[in-house]
Amino acid sequence: MPNYFSNRPPNFKPATINCGTIAAYRYRKNLKAEIEAGNLTKARAIEMLEDMLTIREFEEMIVKLRSGAYEPCKGYDYRGPTHVSIGQEATSVGACFGIAPDDYITSTHRGHGDSIAKGCVAIRAMPTEQLRQRLGTSDTNIPKSELVEAALEDHVYKTIAELFGKEDGYCKGRGGGMHIADFTVGHLGANAIVGGGVPIATGAAMAARYLQEKRVVCCFAGDGAYSNGVVLESLNWAAQSQFTNHLAGDHKFGIPIIFLIVNNHYGMTGRADDEVTGVACLARRGAGFAENNMHAEVVNGMNALAVMEAVKRAADLCRKGKGPVLLELNTYRYYGHSLSDPRFEYRTKDEEASWKAVDPIEQFEREMLNAKAITPKALEALKEKVRARNARAAAKAASAADPNPADVIAFMYTDTRADTVPERFAKTKIVKAPPEIKRQDGKLTYKDAIKEALYEEMLRDSRVIFYGEDVADYGGAFKVTKGLLEAFGRERVFNTPISEAAICGTAVGAAMAGLRPVVELMYMDFALMASDQISNQAAKWHYMSGAKAEIPLVYRVSVGGGKGYGGQHSQTLESVFAHIPGLYVVYPSTPYDAKGLLKAAIRDNNPVMYVESQLLYGIKGDVPEGDYLVPLGVADIKREGKDLTIIAWGPAVPDALKASERLAAEKKLSVEVVDIRSLVPLDLETILASVRKTGKCVVASQAISIGSYTGEIASVIMEKAFDYLDAPVMRVGAKNGIAPQSHVLEAAFLPNANDIFNAALQLF
Amino acid sequence: MADIVIMPKLGQATEESTIIKWHKKEGDLVKKGDVLFEMETDKAVLEAESFFEGTLLKIIVPEGVTVPVNPAVAFVGKPGETLPEPPPLPTTRQTPAASPTQQPAPTPLQAPAPTAPPPDGTPAPAKAATQIQPPAVPQRRPISPRARALAKSCAIDPSSIQGTGPNGRVTEADVIACLKIQGYDNIRISPAAKNLAMLNNLDILRIRGTGDGGRIMVQDVERAIREKPRPMSKMRQVIARRLTESFTTIPHFYVTVSADMTDLMAYRKELKDRGKSYTVTDFILEAVVLSLLEFPSVNSVAEGTNVRWRGSVDLGVAVSLEDGLVVPVIRNADSLSMPELRDAARVLTEKARSGKLLPDEMTGSSFTVSNMGMMNVENFHAIINPGEGAILAVASAIETAVVRDGKITARTMMKMTLSADHRIVDGAVGAAFINAIRSKLEDVELWKPLT
Ligand SMILES: Cc1ncc(C[n+]2csc(CCOP(=O)(O)OP(=O)(O)O)c2C)c(N)n1
Repeated sequence: MPNYFSNRPPNFKPATINCGTIAAYRYRKNLKAEIEAGNLTKARAIEMLEDMLTIREFEEMIVKLRSGAYEPCKGYDYRGPTHVSIGQEATSVGACFGIAPDDYITSTHRGHGDSIAKGCVAIRAMPTEQLRQRLGTSDTNIPKSELVEAALEDHVYKTIAELFGKEDGYCKGRGGGMHIADFTVGHLGANAIVGGGVPIATGAAMAARYLQEKRVVCCFAGDGAYSNGVVLESLNWAAQSQFTNHLAGDHKFGIPIIFLIVNNHYGMTGRADDEVTGVACLARRGAGFAENNMHAEVVNGMNALAVMEAVKRAADLCRKGKGPVLLELNTYRYYGHSLSDPRFEYRTKDEEASWKAVDPIEQFEREMLNAKAITPKALEALKEKVRARNARAAAKAASAADPNPADVIAFMYTDTRADTVPERFAKTKIVKAPPEIKRQDGKLTYKDAIKEALYEEMLRDSRVIFYGEDVADYGGAFKVTKGLLEAFGRERVFNTPISEAAICGTAVGAAMAGLRPVVELMYMDFALMASDQISNQAAKWHYMSGAKAEIPLVYRVSVGGGKGYGGQHSQTLESVFAHIPGLYVVYPSTPYDAKGLLKAAIRDNNPVMYVESQLLYGIKGDVPEGDYLVPLGVADIKREGKDLTIIAWGPAVPDALKASERLAAEKKLSVEVVDIRSLVPLDLETILASVRKTGKCVVASQAISIGSYTGEIASVIMEKAFDYLDAPVMRVGAKNGIAPQSHVLEAAFLPNANDIFNAALQLF
Repeated sequence: MADIVIMPKLGQATEESTIIKWHKKEGDLVKKGDVLFEMETDKAVLEAESFFEGTLLKIIVPEGVTVPVNPAVAFVGKPGETLPEPPPLPTTRQTPAASPTQQPAPTPLQAPAPTAPPPDGTPAPAKAATQIQPPAVPQRRPISPRARALAKSCAIDPSSIQGTGPNGRVTEADVIACLKIQGYDNIRISPAAKNLAMLNNLDILRIRGTGDGGRIMVQDVERAIREKPRPMSKMRQVIARRLTESFTTIPHFYVTVSADMTDLMAYRKELKDRGKSYTVTDFILEAVVLSLLEFPSVNSVAEGTNVRWRGSVDLGVAVSLEDGLVVPVIRNADSLSMPELRDAARVLTEKARSGKLLPDEMTGSSFTVSNMGMMNVENFHAIINPGEGAILAVASAIETAVVRDGKITARTMMKMTLSADHRIVDGAVGAAFINAIRSKLEDVELWKPLT
């Protein structure tokens, strides 16, 4: 059901707007009642207790390690963060027992508990064969119970090893405790950026919705995170009407995400209560974003059963397409933000004592004994088992091998690509009509070349979805994508809220969960709104996960210089992102390259920032119909010559070509123009070969020169081709200032063919 | 065994902590979770809780002492347990309680003082409070890396090429033009010779070829390599510097005499037969010492507008070595007997020849004798050692026909030339001084009591 035209007349009738009510602490049952009602088996209750004990033992280990008092690895120097969650175990375990083993979670810097619980639950549910694989054994005589036990111990070991920065850790020691992830159990990563994981969770849920997997995402984040912009953007994102109303056609299905506010009442030290927020209860946040308050509820986070029950209900809602759901878990962390936080500058010992009196583990143990779900002796044995298991794992981790320093930048990029499309995704259909693409004598405009690339790739692979602000019905601010909605429908092409961080962050989550999103930022300037999601999330997850995650996504960002739009709509910022390891950055200058590069970027399994220029949207050039790729990291010689090399990208390429013609006509100089096309990866060979040939070089881009990638290229040339240089390497860029609105000033500000011509003359 | 309580490392950056208060005394019972002590890090004051149960047996780190993280601070265990020897406290620092932390006074920015003496061994000038001059950057004619690389690969020296690039830079085009003008293409050179020339940074435009048709061959390059200037040895550089300084700043004048050594030679032989051995030099040295005592103005040195008399005769004796010359100094030669003087000269000469002279034994002479008697020379002029007023050059003793009492007769004559600093030694004084030496050498009776 693509096109839809709004038609709402004004309506100013007096009315009252009802914000509904929020239930709090509804859970009134206990363990005995749950067991009697058949909601929980004794065995499962013991598992819950075991996991809570495991988490506590694990975190007490961290505390003791810092004081040299952890016996099993005495003297081991643990270096790294100490954000323990002791006191919050019921939130991790209750939630992970409330969702299905193959549901996703995202977590936080205080996420040891979430990670341990998610792994334990998933491992117990694994088929025997998968357990064997996980443990690397082919012995079919080992009974499943032993396999599970071994896998649980291995889970604790890999978690500790990651904390200790060891090669055996879940992320090969690249991530550490704050970025631990295990995609094989549905753990999409803890996040050391407060709130940073929330749009990722939202994107993963979007993918689950799109793929109709009935999967739910459980997104853990603290009270502090719920003041962060990207989190609020995500709440709004998940609650968009278009997913559930007539625009969704026959797939009316809410985003299946459970936003779990783990309210331990403190950010680092800032108090959510009375200080840095204006509400007494964060569950109210839902009311701002969804008519149904997102089914918001406040839950006793010290009671694992209450958490499990609420999360189960939430997951059921999500699986019925009634998500998102917002749950506030009221809990407490016994320690400070980290061990260096003495915590008595901002809270009383009485407060701590009152929370310790309702300790989730002690409570649960009492209920277990009451319900005769465990004998005192068996309880002691369970505690001893957990203690001994953790001790063995810790001792093993302490003496495990460190990563090889020679591999310090291994795993930055994956070299895989979607060269073939799994059958399941290769079947796509045109909903209404293919987009109009005007080809004249084999020529297309730059912007139609982009559209054609998108169209071909979306046709090829249903995992490719496309979204951004105003990109659907309207076809984008510059009409680059006009017609794609009609071709593929709103499931695959949709407008987004004005939420750049969420646009870029949901793409990361969707990519983690199996899609290959292409998202558009209307102006490159706005990428700065989303810089965390681009730079800390998209760029870093492959490395931080020890190469386990692949983030196949494309950020299409449009540069607006030259139109008199002033300082906030005119920046050429690719150098900023070329400085972020983990991202690829490309910038085509011709229609041919625009199509081929975009197709290659979409098929690449790395996150690619695809920069396009509004100055070039209208230029025409030869673009073959159908499939061809311009590989990432391969420069193109746009003109051959022998006296001078001009290295350029983006709109500086046509300027360089113009300057070359003048240099030939007026100065009899033969100029070679190298269009690098990719800033990262950079085709150094082509650059150096040309400079070695000519001995003279100008590097030109539209960016201001301070900190520009032109400097990087000039310095590499100096390092690697010094003896071939017959003159200093010159750089051409915009004036080192802010883009002005006045067209007179902007003309003075931006570099042009004349500037390149003059720079070249200085070399002769 | 007792448990060791360790100073916890709480923050990643924390390097050291101070225990500001012990909450337990030695002998107190301690439960798990009890606050043992309060500690102060660079960031915060924290309470350290006990992980152990038992009695606080011993406090190793008392209040107010700052220690790096992780050393043992106390023992907890059963009363009466023997305790292990506590490890010595790594750097302990008393933090005076309740005194405001003191900032160290800011160190003024200072240019680093030069520490290494100048390479030639002259004493470093007194460290004056004058600004230190940045080392002068040698003026370089600009040449592009590409042009330099081309010149190198052609085995030519680009330093005389005129640059026509921006700022007069020599560019590739300039090198090419130079090659053309110099007829580089016509140079015939064997590949091996060219390689050798390149390796040795030789300019093949300047090598004369002796091969077929003027082809430059390996042996031509080898010759050019041998002809390449090479740096002087350190010793020679010192010699060169000092001699140049002396010869260009001291106005030398020369006065020569011939001493009749016939009688002294005979006496020397006679002494030798008696088992007393002296060299001719020993006599000359003693004659010089005695004469210097008579002519203090010769044992002096000019210093600017001053003249400084040297209170003792510190006699330099030039000793030639395989590659150069050194001048060991016989200190206080005027206080030595003739045998002592002889022995001192012998020891120092030995040391000089075997390279064992200490720097101290080569400095501070007031007069030098340079004897080339064994080199079969008629006469020569020496250059004054800087720091001295004169030097005596002694030539070979040669049988010569001389006129004595109107008859030609054969005598053993030895020429000596005094080079003197004319600023402080007048011609007449110089002449009288050298004649004093001569007459002593000719007077055998003088030597009898001395030897
Ligand atoms: C974007 C960002 N800002 C600040 C921080 C520093 N920081 C780390 S944890 C934290 C508090 C987070 O509070 P909350 O979300 O409530 O989680 P909690 O630590 O209480 O579990 C802060 C401010 C950060 N890591 N990321």
